[in-house]
Amino acid sequence: MNVEIAGLTRRFGRAQAVAGVDLTIGPGVFGLLGPNGAGKTSLLRMLATVIPPSSGTLRLLGRDPGSYPQRRQIRRRLGYLPQNLGYYSGFTVAEFVEYFALLKEMPPERVPTAVATAVERTGLGDKARAKLRTLSGGMLRRAGIAQAIVNEPELLLLDEPTAGLDPQQRVTFRALLRDLGQRSTVVVSTHLVEDVGAACSQVALMDQGKIVFCGTPAELTAQGEGTEAAGDAPLERGYSAVLAAAQAGTGAWS
Amino acid sequence: MTATVPAAPAAPAARARAHRVTLPGPARLLRLELRRSIMPWLAPLFAVLFWLVTYHPAMANQPLWNIRSGIVPSHTMLAFAPLLAGAAAWAGSRERRRSMADLVGMTALPRWAGQLAAWAATTCWAEAIYLAGVAAVFVVTAHEHAWGGPLWWPVAVGAAFVAASCALGFAAGTLLPSPFTPPLAAFVMFLALAGGAFAIQDNVRYAQIWPLNVQGPFPLDSYGIFYPYVPDLAIAQAVFLAGLSAAALGTLGLPAAAGGRWLRRAAAVVTAAGLAAAGTGVALAGTARLEAHGMVIPALHDAASDRAIAYTPVCSHAAVPVCVHPAYRAFLTDVTAAHGPALSQLAGLPGAPVRVTQVAVTSVKPDPSNGIAFGGPIVSGRPPVLYLPLAGSSLPGEGSTSAAEFTDFLRQLDGRWIISVVVGLSGQDSELGGAGGNVVPLASPRNAAQVAVVEGLANALGLTQPSARSAGKTPGSRMPVSGAGTSVNPPGNGTPSITNQVRAAAQRFASLPSGARHAWLITHLTALRAGRITLGEIP
Repeated sequence: MNVEIAGLTRRFGRAQAVAGVDLTIGPGVFGLLGPNGAGKTSLLRMLATVIPPSSGTLRLLGRDPGSYPQRRQIRRRLGYLPQNLGYYSGFTVAEFVEYFALLKEMPPERVPTAVATAVERTGLGDKARAKLRTLSGGMLRRAGIAQAIVNEPELLLLDEPTAGLDPQQRVTFRALLRDLGQRSTVVVSTHLVEDVGAACSQVALMDQGKIVFCGTPAELTAQGEGTEAAGDAPLERGYSAVLAAAQAGTGAWS
Repeated sequence: MTATVPAAPAAPAARARAHRVTLPGPARLLRLELRRSIMPWLAPLFAVLFWLVTYHPAMANQPLWNIRSGIVPSHTMLAFAPLLAGAAAWAGSRERRRSMADLVGMTALPRWAGQLAAWAATTCWAEAIYLAGVAAVFVVTAHEHAWGGPLWWPVAVGAAFVAASCALGFAAGTLLPSPFTPPLAAFVMFLALAGGAFAIQDNVRYAQIWPLNVQGPFPLDSYGIFYPYVPDLAIAQAVFLAGLSAAALGTLGLPAAAGGRWLRRAAAVVTAAGLAAAGTGVALAGTARLEAHGMVIPALHDAASDRAIAYTPVCSHAAVPVCVHPAYRAFLTDVTAAHGPALSQLAGLPGAPVRVTQVAVTSVKPDPSNGIAFGGPIVSGRPPVLYLPLAGSSLPGEGSTSAAEFTDFLRQLDGRWIISVVVGLSGQDSELGGAGGNVVPLASPRNAAQVAVVEGLANALGLTQPSARSAGKTPGSRMPVSGAGTSVNPPGNGTPSITNQVRAAAQRFASLPSGARHAWLITHLTALRAGRITLGEIP
């Protein structure tokens, strides 16, 4: 398993963003669903080794991120797209991706090819020399994805990756997700249930810092069958049903 | 996005790039940072500042390597340091400003290494801009056929100051990431420079470490010509600045996010070593004392700096030849013109100098806190030679001094003094008084005739009271140089001490034709010097 979590919590002052999460994630695309403030981003930041957990155990790619040497090894094999992507506006797309390839300590001889590949895979080949400040929101998001995948990560963490992408780009992105998921573990945090349905082999639903459902998209869909849960699609109705049950204190999954 | 191929092929351009020579990772990172640094955008501003603050003043001075080598780093850093600190703070705070902290914070490369790369890029640009300015001045100076070569120590201190300004600013920007940090860093740097200047003026002992202080109170045009540049103070300043840089950069490696345990320990060691080096530099500067040829720090001093540099003087072909150091070749005509009238009036008289030779300016008071004094001209040897320290005077181009003012300055300053020496009005018959602590001859019965002759000759030669002394730069009052030879300060505002009888005799003597004065002096100089001539005997 590439991600092993047990009793993971994260507090910010008095607020508990993540409250005792247990989770194991293997290769494939894993969707993380949940309403705003559910703790998805905090969980992803812990998985990305940006912030340490307040308590609980966390193992990534078979290593303990609490130990600096192991954390460094994990980071070499990690890709991360944060919810709010920052960027240096003066960098070109290629420079931005190269910058992160170097920060991820990729072998220098592999960097040029890896940068070009990542840029091509995100459909920014013709914009490789464009300054980031000249790109649209969707293109910036794709540049962010390019930097996340430049090192061909074994664990890829994407926080709202499809935000700002148009429908066509989103479809293409789902294909990329499926492709990446064949070789590595991809954790996608999203609001968009259809992304999960289209690309994810496993899905977890978070609410108030806890995992209230974990299973396949089909299992989530099944949670909504025979209920009057809100939603236009079966998966949405499953999502709403699980969320409603969790908020009513009768968690459908634990 | 094209995700249909499992492993997307590299673009042809990328494949072509891949065939190029592969730089190591840190070099690639530095190249990237260099390419996207803020500094090239600021280069025009730095160029304008350099033009106004450094190039113009430097070029207004004579093409002497010591002057130009001193002006360039000090003026440049006075203008650059606040701006550099601000720009570096801007670069240091970019991760937070650009919301990149999470993204950069989860990468494998230790944060400290990434920050050092960004600092190095900023500093490389800053050094390049600084050194380009230095090169511009030096190339022009070389084309002006200046004697000797550049003094590299002040330039090196300037380069160390560039690095330190960037390091301090970068550390401030990184540790206090805010849009207000860059202007604050620039302002603090400006205050530090101003504070150092005030501390130097107040003779604070440790203020000698101030990096814009080239050679303590020693005038810019007075070192590195006759004797090697004394690098003691520059070494202490370089140690101080290197220490500051190391401490500032080491601090960035101390937070937990900076890297692993060993790396943070290394950062702690670098910080401690930097602080120790900076403290050592300050302590060394505190022991600096002004010696004959510059600021000497005993712990750093190399005796080789005290050995005179061999040179072949350049001489005029006047009746009384004037010889100057080849670095001052451009002033030979002015010096000859300045001393010609007095020397021709005295030519052939016993004790009159038969040659004028320029000598090094030497400090005669080792403690700068007690005021600064430099050795003045002396007459010594047989036949007598006038040894004249020329540097330290207001050379043409320094400040607003013109060539004519320079000539007049020398004429007024030294003419009366040369006459006094030849006439025998030595120091024992003088007392301190007048403006600027100059020696004022008193008309006593014993020397009244000598004073009258001096005044008469001075009046005849148009030597007014040396008001020129206050015009232009006067590095300190000239004092007699210890050792063999006759020496006395030129008279200052001595008018009140001259009696009416003396003044009348002086006027009589001045009204004589030049030939008659000279003939009388040839006949009576021995008696005059011995004090056997009365006022009434003066024609």
